[in-house]
Amino acid sequence: MVAAHDLGVHFLFDRQRRVVTPGTARLRRQGSEAWGLQNVTFAMKSGCGYALIGRSGSGKTTLLRLLASVLFPDAGSLEVRGRVASLLSTDAGLLAVLTGRENALHLGVLAGLSRPQSRAALEQVKERSKLGDYFERPVSSYSQGMRARLGLAVADEIDPQILLLDEVHEALDHEFRRVLEERAHEILAGGGIVVAAGHDHQMLSRLCERALWLEGGRLQAEGSIEEIRDAYLEATDRQERSGT
Amino acid sequence: METEIAPRGGKTASVGKARSHARASVDVLLALSQSDLRLRYGRGPGRILRWLFEPFALVGIYLVLVTVVLGRGGHAAGLNLATSVVPFQLVMLSVTNAMNSIDARKPIILNMSFRRTLIPLSSVCTECASFISSFFLIFFMMAIYQVAPTPSLLWLAVVLPVNLAVAAGFAYGMALFAVWFRELWSFGLSFVRMLFFIGPGLVPLSQTQGTANALLKLNPLTGIFEAYRDVFYYGRAPAAWELLYPLGFAVVLLGIFVPIYHREQRQFAKII
Repeated sequence: MVAAHDLGVHFLFDRQRRVVTPGTARLRRQGSEAWGLQNVTFAMKSGCGYALIGRSGSGKTTLLRLLASVLFPDAGSLEVRGRVASLLSTDAGLLAVLTGRENALHLGVLAGLSRPQSRAALEQVKERSKLGDYFERPVSSYSQGMRARLGLAVADEIDPQILLLDEVHEALDHEFRRVLEERAHEILAGGGIVVAAGHDHQMLSRLCERALWLEGGRLQAEGSIEEIRDAYLEATDRQERSGT
Repeated sequence: METEIAPRGGKTASVGKARSHARASVDVLLALSQSDLRLRYGRGPGRILRWLFEPFALVGIYLVLVTVVLGRGGHAAGLNLATSVVPFQLVMLSVTNAMNSIDARKPIILNMSFRRTLIPLSSVCTECASFISSFFLIFFMMAIYQVAPTPSLLWLAVVLPVNLAVAAGFAYGMALFAVWFRELWSFGLSFVRMLFFIGPGLVPLSQTQGTANALLKLNPLTGIFEAYRDVFYYGRAPAAWELLYPLGFAVVLLGIFVPIYHREQRQFAKII
């Protein structure tokens, strides 16, 4: 279950427009601040997929980072119940110099597995990622799709109840998109939640029943994916026409 | 985030929880340090050689210069120097690693939640692994000056943790400095480097007098340098102040900076 009430994330900038922490802002003369998310309230039910729709910079990634506890709310409250696996970039937390195997061991432990558990899961990760011999090679030699495949296989190590995807699925080849979809539906069938952000609305429709439309860091609308997608595309068209 | 329902069972349950928390923290520390060491030394048989020769590459040439080329006077000048350079290297490299650590782990910090407060401590663990090989420098110098090892070497079991605690204290403080003042990064490093030169690094404390002697003792590294000298060179137990003062200093640093770092790490994904 995921519930957010009046959620807000703000960014502080110094006079050179660099993002700074509140600690730094206290030490220096503050430049300015901007809200990345503001007054966002929603509830996500178990067994349901949610698409985050909106333009670049609308707050989709910020919201996903909050759900992954990569970021923390500066305002409001957020409750996330369940094991969370996140793929928030095609890098998926992978360190380029390490091999697929070394990354899988490393990230498994960081995600909460013990070292023996993470070591025991390695062969499974290798099999799921379908990387073959590449699993023993440095990640720097991987294509984006291969990284995403490894990222997904590693994320799966903790048997997630909540899966967060940020445009990663868009880097995958067709075969692996199917694998991802199957896995996402398994999580949903087990009462989990899938939250996916991206611009491939067809893919999002296959993963999610519901959608949140974000605009300028605020929740514009929430509803079924078809309803929200159509409203968003219509608004985008309208804006483009008025802009030209 | 996983919301846990606290099991009933009072003290036993909380002890069990603390134990599993500590075990998980050790696993995370090992994972972070292992990946760090892999990045540094690579893989294959060559990594052992790289690990062995790195301290020589860093400070060995300096010792050779002082001992052989400059022919610096005083008794066992090279060994005296090695007993200050080696513990200082642990502090200095831990600080450098900690100041780089957030950028080095950017892909992970931006992708997932983990115990980020442990990052500077993992820097110390990484440098500790490479630090072990730098003891060869001291033993090399002992062989050159024909200084025989004594049972006082057992005091290393106390001196080393104090050295690690000081390295950890500085690592947390300087990691925060790197977050707050990124443009002053090199000044921060110079400040830590300066502590070597305003301590009895080049000249043992016994060769100083009066005000200089008293002022040098204020430097937390002075006690550590002198403790290493006691153990390796003089063959005696370190004086209590040589261990207690640096340890107290480390506790104060950790007491101040760990809670601040814990608060600031919540913002890391915004600033990298």
